[in-house]
Amino acid sequence: MDITLFLQQFLNGLSIGSIYAIFALGYTLIFSILGIINFAHGALFTLGAYFTYALMGGTFGFNGLFANASLPIKLPFALALILGSTLAGLVGVGIERVAFRPLRRKGSDPLLTVVSSLGVALVIVNLIQYLVGAESYSFPANTYGNLPPSINFGTGENPIPIRSVQIVIFSVCVIILAILTYCINRTKFGKAMKAVAEDPITASLLGINTDFFIVLTFFVSSFLAGLAGTLVGSSVSIAGPYLGIAFGLKGLAVIVLGGLGSIPGAVLGGLAIGLVEAFVPSDYSAYKDAFAFGILFIMLIVRPQGLLGRRLIQKV
Amino acid sequence: MKRPAVRTSAVFLTVAFLLSACTQTNPVGTNPTTAPSAAPGSSSAIPIGIALAQTSNVALLGQEGIAGAKIAEKYFNDKGGIDGTPIKLIVQDTGGEEAGAINAFQTLISQNKVVGIVGPTLSQQAFSADPIAERTKVPVIGASNTAKGIPEIGDYVARVSAPVSIVAPLSLKAALKLNPNIKKVAVFYAQNDAFSKSETEIFQQTVKDQKLDLVTVQKFQTSDTDFQTQTTNTINLKPDLVIISGLAADGGNLVRQLRELGYKGTIVGGNGFNTSNIFNVCKVLCDGVLVAQAYSPEYSSEVNAAFRTAYLNQYKKEPPQFSAQAFAAVQVYAEALKALNQKTKISTMPLPQLRTELNRQLLAGTYQTPLGEIGFTPVGDVKQKEFYVAQLKVDADGNNGKFALVK
Repeated sequence: MDITLFLQQFLNGLSIGSIYAIFALGYTLIFSILGIINFAHGALFTLGAYFTYALMGGTFGFNGLFANASLPIKLPFALALILGSTLAGLVGVGIERVAFRPLRRKGSDPLLTVVSSLGVALVIVNLIQYLVGAESYSFPANTYGNLPPSINFGTGENPIPIRSVQIVIFSVCVIILAILTYCINRTKFGKAMKAVAEDPITASLLGINTDFFIVLTFFVSSFLAGLAGTLVGSSVSIAGPYLGIAFGLKGLAVIVLGGLGSIPGAVLGGLAIGLVEAFVPSDYSAYKDAFAFGILFIMLIVRPQGLLGRRLIQKV
Repeated sequence: MKRPAVRTSAVFLTVAFLLSACTQTNPVGTNPTTAPSAAPGSSSAIPIGIALAQTSNVALLGQEGIAGAKIAEKYFNDKGGIDGTPIKLIVQDTGGEEAGAINAFQTLISQNKVVGIVGPTLSQQAFSADPIAERTKVPVIGASNTAKGIPEIGDYVARVSAPVSIVAPLSLKAALKLNPNIKKVAVFYAQNDAFSKSETEIFQQTVKDQKLDLVTVQKFQTSDTDFQTQTTNTINLKPDLVIISGLAADGGNLVRQLRELGYKGTIVGGNGFNTSNIFNVCKVLCDGVLVAQAYSPEYSSEVNAAFRTAYLNQYKKEPPQFSAQAFAAVQVYAEALKALNQKTKISTMPLPQLRTELNRQLLAGTYQTPLGEIGFTPVGDVKQKEFYVAQLKVDADGNNGKFALVK
């Protein structure tokens, strides 16, 4: 493999991986606080993309119950992105209230929470299909203003083009990681969240409102899902209501590879899976998922706690 | 026991499945039909089964088919139905998998007691579900099954969707006519889709027949959204032409990424591109893509004008090929039933006899459909007179696109 091709695939891997990472950040946040996997995360990812699309274009599209219905407003992309992600965050709060909290209050088996979140995911995906159809939707060409379609990192003879939208996603991923790391490690809110994650009962005895912090975690996680869905939608179109479900499986692999509950691990896992996929020989590119999950399988055998996860210590 | 917790989980899953069911079974008419041994009476509508995908990642194709079939139902009922008796579509969702198609067929045949079935959506579903209809002697008309070997499944299996072997080479030949300097060709195909695999074989054979240099064959999955690895590898080989066999969502995203990464050569899209939904995916980046068509909205005939107007009024866009083919499939049933009724009153026939006679009658007729004049070969393959090649023309803002016929 010559150096140009290597660099091309390396940059491809980083850009693909940053999509997985940004998706997995929200996933891992809930796991780090509650120790459960929210399978509705993929559905919120899709929902965020649709919310932003509708707010930006003022329309829900041409299919389903909302066919040709219009909104009284059309927002610029940045505003639509924030509002759309906030709406996804609020839906996440609603999900916590009706599907997670009752089970948590009863001290239910975590498996039931998994089933409950799967049910919510199915409801949301089917609702999307019922309301706006199965059609694919693309954001307008001027979504990112005058940004060129791609940027060349090579020379005339050896071009290394990367799509600008991928660079935007990578940058957003780095920024979110920095903000989350700062908020969790350096702010009172973050420290309280960590206390809730460590031991909710003790945290509650120390005067921390555990329910509030759990709701906040769901909001932030779902906001990130909506943000990720919009960014991916702007990169590859919103490829129907099942878009997030496909990413959900990959996101699960990412957080396991990175280390369950580790926020930097989610980013590292995402980038690692992206790089593995990018370096799959092109003749076998249709099998890139098998390569990615094969690596995950080997990783689980060699280092079960993941790249940055902590080994569980069993007290005897 | 944690009963409230169990209840909450159960409630969510139940709601989810109920919601799925809302879109899965959607009888268009009112009541299910008569007993297994009885034919539909003159007072009740004649049930025709529609087994197409309303869910899964191929729902878009299925929904296009259902839209065309419903327009046909209204059109022929407005014209008096079958000598006064209306037809009634009974829609069963096949999803995107073979198991869903089998379930839909079994329900339509044994519970809904349909006289014939239109469907399923995918060729690979047809290979699994059509043998069930064959065994129970129920006519099936494929409206979107273009893979090799579909009509050969059995005597009761026919199709109105022209085989890929006829349609696919036309767009490649049109590309060579527009640009005779094309030498190096790259091929992409969705390897998890039977139709795309079948279509790419025809394309690759045509590339060889035209003495062109096939520089790479890249595979992907219909569920893929990112193609950067494949596209950058391909662009490095500097092809003059890229041929893509895939569905609208993945194929459209592939075009978009090829163009954004700087590929400026000609692109030929397969049958999966033959839908106006492609514009939603790649917008202005689709401009110039060549697609061979078994249906053109610009085809001039009375029935196509009626179909096109009805579709435009309802969906505010040009009808796609799958809608036209589903319309044609329902038309074949309607006209064959009418022809049969004029020979022997169909209300007097037991259902098994009606299905057999209907199958014989539909294969014998010729039909003036939105696709043009069609008939069937003895094995059940479509005999179609007109084919087209179109070039996608999209406005600079990407909001409006059309298939412009290449003369």
